[in-house]
Amino acid sequence: MKRLLSVIKVKGIQFIITTSFTLVTVLVMLFVGVMLYGKFAQTAEQNAYLHTQQILEQVKYNLDSYLNGMTQIFELVDDKIRRSKGLTADKLSEQLETIVETRKDIVSIAVFTRDGTLLATTPSKILRSNTRLTEQSWFQKAIEDPTNLSFSLPHIQNLFKGEYTWVVSMSREILLHGPDGEIPAVLLVDVNFKEIDELCQRVGLGKKGYVYIIDLVGNIVYHPQQQLIYAGLKNENRSLPLKHSYGSYVEETQDETRLITIKTIDQLGWKIIGVSYMDEIVTTKKEISRFIFWLLIFVIVIVLFVLHYLSAKISRPIKLLERSMERVEQGDFSESEPIRGSHEVEQLSLRFHLMVAKVRELMHQIIREQEAKRKSELEVLQAQINPHFLYNTLNSVVRMVGNGKNEDVITTITSLSKLFRISLSRGKNIITVREELEHVRHYLIIQKMRYKQKFEYEIVVEDEDEDEVLNCLTLKLLLQPIVENAIYHGIEHLADPGRIRILAAIIDGKVLLQVSDNGLGMSPDVLAQVKAGFYKSEEGTGVGIQNVQERIRLTFGEQYGLEIESEQEEGTVVRVWIPRQVAEERDRL
Amino acid sequence: MRTAAVKRLSVYGLVVLAAVTLFYSCSAPLTDGEVDKKKTVALIVRMKHGDYWRTVKLGAEMAAKEYERNLNFYAPDYEEDASRQMELVQQAIADGSETIVVAPSDDRVLREAIKLTRERAIPILVLDTVGKDSAVKSYIGTDNYDMGMKAFEKMVYLIEKKGQIALLGTDRVKTNAKRREQGVLDLLPRETQIELIANENVPLDKKQIGEWTRELIRKHPQVKGVIALDASTAIGVAEEMENCGLRDKVKIVAIDSPPEVLEYLQEGIISATIIQKPLSMGYLGVKYAVEASNGEAVPSLVDTGTKVIDRENMFWSENQKLLFPFVK
Repeated sequence: MKRLLSVIKVKGIQFIITTSFTLVTVLVMLFVGVMLYGKFAQTAEQNAYLHTQQILEQVKYNLDSYLNGMTQIFELVDDKIRRSKGLTADKLSEQLETIVETRKDIVSIAVFTRDGTLLATTPSKILRSNTRLTEQSWFQKAIEDPTNLSFSLPHIQNLFKGEYTWVVSMSREILLHGPDGEIPAVLLVDVNFKEIDELCQRVGLGKKGYVYIIDLVGNIVYHPQQQLIYAGLKNENRSLPLKHSYGSYVEETQDETRLITIKTIDQLGWKIIGVSYMDEIVTTKKEISRFIFWLLIFVIVIVLFVLHYLSAKISRPIKLLERSMERVEQGDFSESEPIRGSHEVEQLSLRFHLMVAKVRELMHQIIREQEAKRKSELEVLQAQINPHFLYNTLNSVVRMVGNGKNEDVITTITSLSKLFRISLSRGKNIITVREELEHVRHYLIIQKMRYKQKFEYEIVVEDEDEDEVLNCLTLKLLLQPIVENAIYHGIEHLADPGRIRILAAIIDGKVLLQVSDNGLGMSPDVLAQVKAGFYKSEEGTGVGIQNVQERIRLTFGEQYGLEIESEQEEGTVVRVWIPRQVAEERDRL
Repeated sequence: MRTAAVKRLSVYGLVVLAAVTLFYSCSAPLTDGEVDKKKTVALIVRMKHGDYWRTVKLGAEMAAKEYERNLNFYAPDYEEDASRQMELVQQAIADGSETIVVAPSDDRVLREAIKLTRERAIPILVLDTVGKDSAVKSYIGTDNYDMGMKAFEKMVYLIEKKGQIALLGTDRVKTNAKRREQGVLDLLPRETQIELIANENVPLDKKQIGEWTRELIRKHPQVKGVIALDASTAIGVAEEMENCGLRDKVKIVAIDSPPEVLEYLQEGIISATIIQKPLSMGYLGVKYAVEASNGEAVPSLVDTGTKVIDRENMFWSENQKLLFPFVK
């Protein structure tokens, strides 16, 4: 698992882009999918309702028009019989035969007396025995309600010999012209049920749905599974349709939900009932949800690939950048090819390259500076063992010995020895202010000897706590070149006694070492030249102000260094500014 | 660098193309082809014609529609054509039926059907025949023994518990007729005043039946009733009785309800008939076939029931659909 995660790089920009975008896409797709599904499912359901309604309307219309046609035929037959003189008239039977022949769905036309005696029939057939015709519903209805045409339920016509046929009987009382005036009779027109049966059978509501018809009291007129219902294998709940004349209802039984739609044929009061199965509507829903599911998968796959491509495109330059940074980190500062990618990455890469170039530059600079530092330190060291200085000093000592000034000799030699000790100071560059002052003091002692007390000097520490200043660190041999300058250029040619004042203090958190003299001073031109570092004195150690300035800056930075103030005939003040660092920190430098 | 990018792009393109194809191949079959994928139930009966088997088929079709199956109907042109029926069983299996529902003409057909279905591991159900083979998931049919008993009881009622009766079967449908006969014979001892004067099988031939009937009347002028154990025999007897003018004197109890029997029934020549319920047989046959193929448990023996029909109740609305299943 860990290995897998490390391969994927959970925190990688590519992974983050891919996952977050996929997540967003999936969420959006889910949302859209759910919305679409809801809408589609609703529409599917509504369509099913509407569809059922329309089909039933069609069935109703067809049945209505069929029954109307039959009613018209009945009226036509009635009319013909009424107009003719008697039932036996040839013309009448001819006319009736024509009607029966033209309408194939008319099985027979018959006239009966009120007690059930057959008066006439077309086509002429023999009456069967045991017909119980007076007990049959069509006959009874005609007697009970003489004015209205009645339609029977479909039943087997058992009146005449021949086939047993399923018929719907239309019957009504009519008046016959008899010899004794008008006598009432029952007219029966049997219509083959086949037409209605086929009409209903053809109607399909989905794969399983069907249409059935019941009469006013719930008897089945037509039902595709009528026999199963009679056989007790099926059951049709007819209570709901009986209560309502039209509308749609959802009927739930223990294992299925059905949509019941009802329409009524006004003429007869028959109810057409459409039964559609909800699970078929649900099938549509399932199909939609399956479709949306696959769409989702499909979109996710596509999005994954597109994102993989995009994120790779975005993250690749960043990875390249990272790699080139890694190379830099490992110390390879060589130039590398700029990375192509998005604007930001290109900018980043550009900046990085600039930075690397800068670092490279700085490194070169540091190397150069270090070299310079070494060089200037070497120069200082060389200056220390400047044979000229040594020669002069030793000359002075010889002269003193000649003059018998033994004490002076001792002082001079002692100072010289201390001077060299501090100069060498075991090879360290950094020494305390105390040591530096000590060093310059010995230098001044020697010079004072040489110049026969031509000048006075004082070394002052200007602080409440002297040690604080004296323990600060400084570069070695900062003051000596300055003092040397002061003597050689300022005081040597002065007629009056010279005065050199060396001051050490802490000002504004910096250490100030100041050398002031009352010598000749410098003209502004010379001062400018000195400041610019051009001025080279012909005398002295050859280690000039410039060297001091350079060393301070190389060691401590640009903000430190020398300040020179000078006025002709007044003297010169040289201030050395170095950072305040205490002796304990010596090791760090 | 450039070619690598092109290569990568084309790989992505290919993947997208594959995904699109996959998507369409997944979504397309959702709409089409489901009609053809419906499983098929094979119904093999004894004869193509005749109301009885047509009604069986009608019931089977209802169940097939309800359970969303295709129904393949196989039947020989003539009844009892066992060798042809055997071919049809093989045909039904070859057609890839999910289940076989068969009304076997004889044992050979049944054995062949069981053998073939066992090889393919498909369920087999038997209609209109009773047996005890464990390979058969369900026997669906009429209790013929019960039919015989009902016929006898009706006869006892019709002749008011006394007199001579004759029992007439054919040598055609052996097992079923035997069961019916047994039903009659088992009840006979109860009625001490009823004398069985004849128990014979006659061949399927109207002329021979007529001769047999005339002989019976000549030998036993006091005969009060004839129980015919199948419809054709009943029709033959009824015709002869009518010809002899004995329509009111001799009661006839028949089995099954072809149109001629119904005609005679309404005319009063045949007094009663014991009918089976072939529609239920066909319907339950397919229903249980579907359930068996779904791995559900089905009853091993299903009695579809019988009904005694006489002149009184033959036009009752609940009987009309049993006696006249087809809208003509």
